[in-house]
Amino acid sequence: MVAAICTVVSVAFRKRIDMVNFAMVYLFGVLVVSVRCHRAAAIVNATLSVSAFYYFIVPVHDSFVLEDYTYIITLCAMLAVALVITTLIERVRSQAAAVRDAEIAIQTERMRNSLLSAVSHDIKTPLAAIYGAATSLLEEEDRLNAVNRRELVGGIAAEVERMNRVITNLLKMTRLEAGVHVKKDWYPLEEIVGAAATRFEHAFGGRSVMIKIPPDLPLICVDDVLIEQVFVNLLDNFLKYTPAGTALEIIAGQDDSRIFVIVRDHGGGFSPGDEERVFDKFFRGKTDGERGLGLGLAICRAIVHGHEGTIAAETALDGGAVIRFELPIGGAPPAVGELPESSLA
Amino acid sequence: MTDYAAPDLPAEILLIEDDPEIRRVLRTTLSLERYNLREASTAMEGMKTIASCQPDAIILDLGLPDKDGIEVIHQVRQWNKLLPILVLSVRSREQHKISALDGGADDFVNKPFAVGELLARLRVADRRSSSILTERMDAIFRIGQIDVDLARRKVTVAGEEVHLTRIEYKLLQILIRHADMVVTHSQLLNEAWGPNHGDQVHYLRVYMLQLRRKLEKDPARPRHLRTEPGIGYRLITEPLAR
Repeated sequence: MVAAICTVVSVAFRKRIDMVNFAMVYLFGVLVVSVRCHRAAAIVNATLSVSAFYYFIVPVHDSFVLEDYTYIITLCAMLAVALVITTLIERVRSQAAAVRDAEIAIQTERMRNSLLSAVSHDIKTPLAAIYGAATSLLEEEDRLNAVNRRELVGGIAAEVERMNRVITNLLKMTRLEAGVHVKKDWYPLEEIVGAAATRFEHAFGGRSVMIKIPPDLPLICVDDVLIEQVFVNLLDNFLKYTPAGTALEIIAGQDDSRIFVIVRDHGGGFSPGDEERVFDKFFRGKTDGERGLGLGLAICRAIVHGHEGTIAAETALDGGAVIRFELPIGGAPPAVGELPESSLA
Repeated sequence: MTDYAAPDLPAEILLIEDDPEIRRVLRTTLSLERYNLREASTAMEGMKTIASCQPDAIILDLGLPDKDGIEVIHQVRQWNKLLPILVLSVRSREQHKISALDGGADDFVNKPFAVGELLARLRVADRRSSSILTERMDAIFRIGQIDVDLARRKVTVAGEEVHLTRIEYKLLQILIRHADMVVTHSQLLNEAWGPNHGDQVHYLRVYMLQLRRKLEKDPARPRHLRTEPGIGYRLITEPLAR
């Protein structure tokens, strides 16, 4: 192919250029192919180029009746060029690959280390608390009064709940990374938000949680279990990282073919510059006391992206955290009301 | 099964669960609640115990070493429709739970579970099986501020009459019949519309949304008409403070 192009170029300019420069045109072609392609292709191209050069360009056209001697020298030179170049290029390529592999290995290693340290902290701490409480219940039985006992047992229950959250999040993330199996259907957003909110009804205590969803918001095509998880994680963050007594608002609306959700709290917001990183796995913002695995928002992002949506974080003017995500409605929502009421069983 | 729940005899519960620690915890707690616990660690052993000692209720783990717990449900339901079956399962396996519930289990409790929740579910399942035996339904069913007059098909919220469409009322009726228990989407669709509508769950969701808007004070944070994501709905008659 390249040999043919060189030939066309050379033939076109035959009248104007010197013979030696034609050789340069072919040499250039050989160089290009050697850099770009594998060794076999480069050798074939070099041979074809030399043949074409002698067949089309060298005077006494249209024949091979020439001194075989010059022909063989040119052929050898071209082949040598092709071989040297391809060998060099291959060496460079394999080195680049090795560097890339090493980088991936380092990243994986770093990831594994942060995972291990996070997991070992977040699982071993509650385990230590549980073990401590349980052994003191067993061994100090006689010396504990009812209040002590209640305290220890309450601690065990709370730590187990915490461990369960950590493990559930880890498993979720693992499953999401292995490829989300999104099982979509048409849902009213209100039902999904409601399911998440009722899970926290006791935890909210008296805190104000306002949910504002327009009654005419169209159905949306999503995986309800996954989208509920997004709300669960955001509500969990609200309870973990904002001061007691502050409020939360969840506002939804339609924006063309997408539905947006804004979840706004009135706590300390994000540290400047953290707005992107909060969605990274194992990233933990500034926290006073409460520590998580740094997976909550990463899971939210994985789920939203799995739905071809977008998610972003910002700090509001009053200093609170705002998470805004958008999901495509996912086509034309099915009309409801076609099932005639007379078909009632 | 005929002499079920004589009030002063402790009810006999069969626990089919392969994990000895969970068996131990339940043995301790249930004995405090005056239940007699029988234990089986495999599906085979469980089936034998059901046949020989006729328990009053079953608590069943779905992940048994020899068989899937769902097969136990199918076998029991072939000859006994009423025996309450409560499933212990791991959260996030929604499809598994649906198979168990549609296969005839009465309800489920997620592992790790609080014993109080398990006992509450067990009592509800008991109540259902005895109310089916007597075929009796209260004339007025009260859910918080909602009164449902089942004889006259009248619904009031805080004394104000609320108009429900036929479908909405039908759904409410089904949920009342299974009060405090989970009802799967396909159970609701089948009972409200008849078979062949199983793939039209979004209708159900829209009607449930309307029902919530008519009956709940804050429909986005329902107290009574609860969603079990991926599974179905549950009518909570009295939300428990924990």
